[in-house]
Amino acid sequence: MQINVEQKGEVTVYNMSGDIDINTSPEVKKAFDGAMKDKHEKVVINLKDVGYVDSSGLATLVEILKNLRAYGGKLKLSNLSDKVKGLFEITKLDKLFDIVADEEEAVSSF
Amino acid sequence: MREAMEQRETVVEVKDLVKKFGDRAVLNGVSLKIRKGETFVIMGGSGCGKSTLLRHMIGNLKPTSGSVFLLGQDITEKYGADLDEVRKKIGMSFQSSALFDSMTVAENVSLPLVEHTKIEPSIIDIMVKMKLELVGLRGFEDLLPSEISGGMKKRVGLARAIAMDPQIIFYDEPTAGLDPIVAAVIDKLIIDLSQKLNVTSVVVTHDMKSVMAIADRIAMLYEGKVLEVGTVDEIKNSPNEMVQQFINGNFDGPIKFFQQKDDYLETLTQ
Repeated sequence: MQINVEQKGEVTVYNMSGDIDINTSPEVKKAFDGAMKDKHEKVVINLKDVGYVDSSGLATLVEILKNLRAYGGKLKLSNLSDKVKGLFEITKLDKLFDIVADEEEAVSSF
Repeated sequence: MREAMEQRETVVEVKDLVKKFGDRAVLNGVSLKIRKGETFVIMGGSGCGKSTLLRHMIGNLKPTSGSVFLLGQDITEKYGADLDEVRKKIGMSFQSSALFDSMTVAENVSLPLVEHTKIEPSIIDIMVKMKLELVGLRGFEDLLPSEISGGMKKRVGLARAIAMDPQIIFYDEPTAGLDPIVAAVIDKLIIDLSQKLNVTSVVVTHDMKSVMAIADRIAMLYEGKVLEVGTVDEIKNSPNEMVQQFINGNFDGPIKFFQQKDDYLETLTQ
């Protein structure tokens, strides 16, 4: 799992690559703890290079959303493959997250 | 578009499986191949050996002869920790839900996650809620098994079976004892897991409505042998009279419920 963080104006973009699963989701959680501390208000998670998210990964994303919302932060997810989108749909999380087509749209739509 | 079923890899293979209890062969040379992502139903009358076959597939029973390959590994040769390592990748939903009575619904569902992973408790809580939502039981987290119905217990067992996102799920009579709506919810879940997550489901059942709704392929077992394997259409149109009698639920036919020997009256007075 690789996570690259980019600042685009006011928006913090997390580019993830690899699978988010039982082995890697603790790492993902840790990477976001920093953003939470600095109270980043506009956050995008780009899932372009993520092939699979298991339920521990989905739950980790929910936890990140919960923590962001606690201080008024906003989260958008972008570039989901059809397979990853299916994973969100089966757990109904597609209705919880703000899912947008690509990073550009995510950054400009805050 | 789903890739052609016949090109998919085999995830469960049963080879010439024989199981004898005393002199009686409950399984008498069963061979089957189950492919990744398919929903494979094993059907047959009571006592035909289908639950015994399932118990061999999950490594709970060792055969008299023959072998079972799970994700490429012969589990008939594995014991203890080696067997557990393979079994972590599968989920099992039993006929009796096999819940721990002293644990709440949430604790029962989270048990495999607490035991086998290092995920934080706050994340596990969210996962448990997600799994319970999938089986229609969100909001029941804090109840004990004794405080919910039999059908609900079954669904908790199913939520626990899918807690670790298994690649293969084995179900023993998943819809038995459930009302028709809840049975349809479970059927839908099995279909969704297959279509959206590419999970392989192996289902033992004699609920014909459920079979027709979920099966990619069906194997009919009779007297410890595979009578026929085919798609829903192939089984529906099977020329085999035993298959037809079973799927149509006819009293008359080649499968006899009562023993054919004429020694009943003799045995009463012996």
